[in-house]
Amino acid sequence: MAQLRIDGLTKRFGAVTALDAVDLDIPDGAFVAMLGPSGCGKTTLLRCLAGLERPTSGTIRLGEADITTLPPERRGLGMMFQSYALFPHMRIRENLRFPLKMRGRGDAAAQDAKIDEALRAIRMEGMGDRYPREISGGQQQRVALARAIIADPPLLLLDEPLSNLDAQLRKQMQIELIELHRRIGLTTILVTHDQEEALSLADLVVLMNAGRIEQIGAPRDIYRKPATAFAAAFLGGANLLDVVVENGLARAGDGTALGPLAAPDGPRRLVLRQEALALRDAPRPGEATLAARIVAVAFNGATSRVVVEAAGQRLELTVPAAAIEGRAAGATAQLCFILADAPLV
Amino acid sequence: MIGRVPALAAALGVALAAAAAIFMLAPLAVVIASSVSASEFLVFPPRGFSLRWYQEILASSVYLRALGVSLTLAAVVTVISVALGAAAAIGLSRPGVRFAGALQGLFLSPLMLPTILLGIGLLMLASRYANGPSFAVMALGHVVVTLPYVVRTVSAVLARVDPSLEEAARVMGAPWWRRYWHVVLPQARPGLAAGAFFAFNVSFDEAVVALFLRAPGVETLPLLIYSKLEFSPDPSVAAAATLMIAMTVAVMIALDRVLGLDKVAA
Amino acid sequence: MKRETALLLAPGVLVLTLGFVLPVLRVLTLAFDAKTGFGLDNFARFFADSFYPLVAWRTVRLSLVITLVTALFGAPLALVMARAPRWLRMALIVVVVLPLMTSVVVRTFGWLVILGRGGLLAQTLAYFDLAGRNFSLMHTETGVVLAMVQVLMPFVTLTVLSTLEKIDPRLEEAARVMGANFWTTLRHVVVPLAMPGLVAGSLLVFALSASSFVTPGLIGGVRLPVLGATIYQQVTGTLDWGFAAAQATLLLILALVVALPYAQGARRAGASR
Repeated sequence: MAQLRIDGLTKRFGAVTALDAVDLDIPDGAFVAMLGPSGCGKTTLLRCLAGLERPTSGTIRLGEADITTLPPERRGLGMMFQSYALFPHMRIRENLRFPLKMRGRGDAAAQDAKIDEALRAIRMEGMGDRYPREISGGQQQRVALARAIIADPPLLLLDEPLSNLDAQLRKQMQIELIELHRRIGLTTILVTHDQEEALSLADLVVLMNAGRIEQIGAPRDIYRKPATAFAAAFLGGANLLDVVVENGLARAGDGTALGPLAAPDGPRRLVLRQEALALRDAPRPGEATLAARIVAVAFNGATSRVVVEAAGQRLELTVPAAAIEGRAAGATAQLCFILADAPLV
Repeated sequence: MIGRVPALAAALGVALAAAAAIFMLAPLAVVIASSVSASEFLVFPPRGFSLRWYQEILASSVYLRALGVSLTLAAVVTVISVALGAAAAIGLSRPGVRFAGALQGLFLSPLMLPTILLGIGLLMLASRYANGPSFAVMALGHVVVTLPYVVRTVSAVLARVDPSLEEAARVMGAPWWRRYWHVVLPQARPGLAAGAFFAFNVSFDEAVVALFLRAPGVETLPLLIYSKLEFSPDPSVAAAATLMIAMTVAVMIALDRVLGLDKVAA
Repeated sequence: MKRETALLLAPGVLVLTLGFVLPVLRVLTLAFDAKTGFGLDNFARFFADSFYPLVAWRTVRLSLVITLVTALFGAPLALVMARAPRWLRMALIVVVVLPLMTSVVVRTFGWLVILGRGGLLAQTLAYFDLAGRNFSLMHTETGVVLAMVQVLMPFVTLTVLSTLEKIDPRLEEAARVMGANFWTTLRHVVVPLAMPGLVAGSLLVFALSASSFVTPGLIGGVRLPVLGATIYQQVTGTLDWGFAAAQATLLLILALVVALPYAQGARRAGASR
């Protein structure tokens, strides 16, 4: 069906470069999440795919066709907007009919059948005659999604689709999106700034920063093996510990020997995930250790967040709440981790 | 940006914009052109170039008196209208106003109902209970006509102000007069200025209420121009009308400075 | 309501009562004032012969034509303004607002110079051999409509513009992505959503043009009297105030008959939003 191929895509707004020579291949049937902070270019990329922005240079191919300069109405894509963009002057049925009518799919009766089917799928039978303002936010979100896929597009674009929902509804909709994707296998591109959402929904995460792709990979890989300091910091808020490698031995900034490290000599940075750090009185065998002073403890329920100072740096860790009991700000402890598990950037 | 606009639509748009510019500005342009004519009569195209008509109206006691009346009237009306309108807009912006909808309607209704009704009504009341129309009655009529503009611009500005600012001032112990002087009025200032310019402009230009309430010694500039137009206008009328256009342009520039013309328009 | 709020509102309410509510009430009572106390004498006189009904009919007819023409050109102009690049939009705002803020006597004066015998229009038409130099639109309905459209078009353009600016641009983008081209998007999305503004602006234009008398009076002259002009004449000329009040009342009823259904519709739309 449709493989999406992006080559050297660049978009400038005046002096600002929103997209800087982006290359990306998206296999048919993939669920891709474009992840990055606001202003990283992920939304511009999505809008270029939809035809709502014309790229300054580069090409976009869908299957065999070059769609770079095709107007949006002739691309045949499905798109869901952050604000849902349901037409306020049309009933739900007419909103769902719109793409069918514009694309000339079937006669009125065939369209009605398709609309009924869609309403059933989103559990909103009998609500087709309401106006968008007469249904709840969650229902609006489902209608918007149904409207995006009702005309069987080859590619579905989702622009922050869940950001207007409360936390509980968002979790529920994430599951529904996964199920939907598994059921119809539609190539889907999701834009989000929420790393948790990207990791849990997508089978391929494209991490973007300042108009460029920072890293592409499966959620697990990208989380465990961040390729850059940005990737490490953006995904899971990892700590970056400055170390110096000398003859295969890693030392922290204060000179503490951490253990052997297979890396060329020179200054390096260790990625230390919050949950990979522990505070103990003494290290266990095989653990590297640093003397640390506790700066602050924030109790979160099941876990506690602790800020410590070690080797002249501030580090943050998340530990089971019970593990920190008895330690308070000002106390000292050993900060322990397994050196071999920590990626270098 | 939404897709591309098709060439046909763009061409139609440009054509419409150009036609609108010509159609809307032509009447003002011919007035200005006529005012610098050297000829004795209003002819088009104007013959020659001279500023003699400006010299004439600036030497004419009739025109100068009318200009004086118009300026005085507009100034008095602006002060009263801004004071009343600003107070009303601040009041309407408060929570829990009883009959808020009806009051809002009352303050904006002079804009909706035919002005001619107000004109005759005031004339009839003034003839019955005062000694007929006068400067004061005309000022009252203009305050009524200009009040909606002030209420609207001040309300629009206040709608963007955080209501907790005033509460914060209260909590921090400000007495009522300090609260108004340091918090409420500074917040409303762009609206007050825009409302004042609107009020001045509307009063200075107003002709309908004025035509009904004209009284000896209260002949405004628009009234003078109107009576000249009824008979045979000469280029001196064009010069006076051009001065009025210049006043409008000045007010527009001022409005653009204090609030932005595109905000004023919408 | 707090005392402070009441004090803020009181002066304005007082002045509006004195300078607006009472005068309007005075007109209404005078209209129904007859020799025998309350009566419809003034209205009976209005319909006694065909002169005044014909004046009323001309007023309504001209106002409808003016409303239609302003809507036909003013609304698309608003659309151009909403979509134009910044400099063009600003220029068009000046084009619309400058005449709006200029005194009606000045604008009408301009039209006298354009429409009159040997005026700009006649000269231009003569140049292209389309009409003689004696061509004039003074004292014609066409002339009145032309001048009134220039006076009133800003009301339609500005109300439609403010409605257009409140439309979420994502709606149009969504329509485009779903297969609608520029024109179908205009028809199915933009126009329906701009309709409330167009209706509001048109009603305002109708009410204003039905009650206007400066422009129709100076350009149409005595040969083409409209309600506003006959009222003005009765008030300042023949001093027949009861009759003038009755005509003004009819004018008010005309404006309300048109405006009320709209106000109700707008409230219903607002309430369910």
